[in-house]
Amino acid sequence: MSLITVEHVARIEGHGTISVELDGSIVKDVRMDIVEPARFFEPMIVGRRFDEISLITSRICGICSPTHTVTSLKAIEDAMNIPVSERTELFRKLLVYGSFLQNHATHLYIFSAPDYVGLPSVFPLAETHPDVFQRALKIKKAGNELCTLVGGRPVHPVTAVMGGFSQEPDPRELEVFRDRLADLVDDAVATAQMFDSFEVPEFSSSGDMLALVEDDGYAVYDGDTAALEAGWRRPVAEYRAFITEEVFAHSNAKHSTSGGRSFMTGAIARVNLSRDMLMPRAAEVLASLNVRVVEKNTFLNNVCQAVELIDACERCTMYCDRLLDEGGTSVPVEFEIKAGSGVGATEAPRGTVYHSYSIGDDGFVTGGDIITPTAQNLGNLEADMRAFAPTIADLPYEEFILGMEKLVRAYDLCLSCSVH
Amino acid sequence: MAPRVVIVGLASDFGCQVQMTNIEDDLLDVLGLIDLQYWQLASSGHMPEEYDIAIVEGAVTTQEHVELLKRLRKTAAVVMTIGSCADTGGILALANCVDPDVAYAAVYGKGPEVARGRRAPGPVDAVIHVDYRVPGCPIDTDEFINVLSRALQGLADRTPVDPLCAICKTKENVCFLDRGEVCLGLVTRTGCGAKCPTLNRPCTGCRGLAPDANLEAARAAFVSKGLDPTELERRFDLYNAAREVTR
Repeated sequence: MSLITVEHVARIEGHGTISVELDGSIVKDVRMDIVEPARFFEPMIVGRRFDEISLITSRICGICSPTHTVTSLKAIEDAMNIPVSERTELFRKLLVYGSFLQNHATHLYIFSAPDYVGLPSVFPLAETHPDVFQRALKIKKAGNELCTLVGGRPVHPVTAVMGGFSQEPDPRELEVFRDRLADLVDDAVATAQMFDSFEVPEFSSSGDMLALVEDDGYAVYDGDTAALEAGWRRPVAEYRAFITEEVFAHSNAKHSTSGGRSFMTGAIARVNLSRDMLMPRAAEVLASLNVRVVEKNTFLNNVCQAVELIDACERCTMYCDRLLDEGGTSVPVEFEIKAGSGVGATEAPRGTVYHSYSIGDDGFVTGGDIITPTAQNLGNLEADMRAFAPTIADLPYEEFILGMEKLVRAYDLCLSCSVH
Repeated sequence: MAPRVVIVGLASDFGCQVQMTNIEDDLLDVLGLIDLQYWQLASSGHMPEEYDIAIVEGAVTTQEHVELLKRLRKTAAVVMTIGSCADTGGILALANCVDPDVAYAAVYGKGPEVARGRRAPGPVDAVIHVDYRVPGCPIDTDEFINVLSRALQGLADRTPVDPLCAICKTKENVCFLDRGEVCLGLVTRTGCGAKCPTLNRPCTGCRGLAPDANLEAARAAFVSKGLDPTELERRFDLYNAAREVTR
């Protein structure tokens, strides 16, 4: 029996180790050891005031920070029964989509693409394929600058507060940005076409797929949770009833199941569940790609992220137009501090994130629970790794390892998030 | 020969490393000045035996981190920390306010034991000497480029020592204390351009205690504005709860 390990897998957010136990060329077991240190966010927020919570939970993740901020605010607003204006919601959506642009561009170009062009990192592309490198930076930068325009900076937004925004962007800047987003659609299309051209293994994940859905849109900011194969749709407030977490000795992150079955969340789940809700260009491009109507090949999560880039550019152009035309206010609403419990759920770039809190009469938090997308995905990733490893076990060592790393990277893991 | 650089993450949200990738316009210029030998976030490869500069993100939360830092200090001529977690223990040090067994049980329950080798979260300089620091949560990219340039040229560390009120005044922001709201600008290390107050949010102290701050005067200012002076300490814990541990 021999053990192959890839310690601190490169080009993923956080620290994880792939372990494969082999008996000759027969794969006996495969694990994803999550060595990312535990940080204890849930006990940490107990005893802190309601208006500090989004500042704290934003620090779960430097990549998904806009999503954690928005989700945290929504959960507390739910607990204290605070409605926000449509304008506030539009700005929050821009913030979430800004992190989609930033994250998807980073994951696709900096983390994933080097695997498919045989490079250790994206940096050599600056010399060999300057057009591709510049496109990567252009999309990533637009995402960062959208977050900065709305939130004040790319990581850990400043202006998003309980009930609204502490400050709105200058309308002239919003107008300039709208044009820039419209112009970015072609770059996103080129990204989707490039990833569609990369050869991926034939593979079908055994797990279910979960994502937020809405009747009238591509759910990202709000919605119910739906399961693709189990076929149900349930309010997010019940998330504890449809997601079960379990602790395993090899992982500082818990694993999740739904109805006893592992599942995947993220771009591929969203595209499967809401493909009819995509913006026109995104829908048109998706139809031209090698993505099935119900797609279970995990490797195609990359292509689905690229399709979401197109959708995000089109959708944010529309949101900017609405913000410029419709008026209204995002000034934080007045509210009374009161006791309560609440749940918030949002689609982070890599899947649904759930926050729930209980708050006492004095506005101090008495309990909290957070489930991040990567924590939900880890069980399914291991199931995929166990199914995929034997199919490539006869390849030379380097190619075998690269194959496993490609699968791991396709999940766009965020191990910091997973061990919060 | 360009200095050999390694970038290492301890316990963190990776936000400051993400900020390093966010210097898109200057990324290639910066990379051109250094010989980047190891960066797990961005490139395949292993940590080399020899290097000149170690850039460290994250708080120290495990025994492994302590050993890694000692190795880095022995090998690197220059150690530079980025972000609040590495600089003050940051948000993660808030876990010090909770009984560790209670915290563990709240997250992991009674199942198999995980997260072994844990220790109370603290800053890097509680373990090894730090030559240059970029404070803040997250780091400001311009400040990062500035500090890195100073490190490359061997210039003295110039981390600001004043509180940020002075710079906030030059931005013509209306003082939060005058509006009856708690703001930590009187005691927090400057260098951020008073970003949060300029975006109409009070300072939350992410850059740590300004060495030149006058805490007594700050408490008196709170009282004179009708604010509870104990809120100064309580709020300051947000990014600085490790200060009790390390002193």
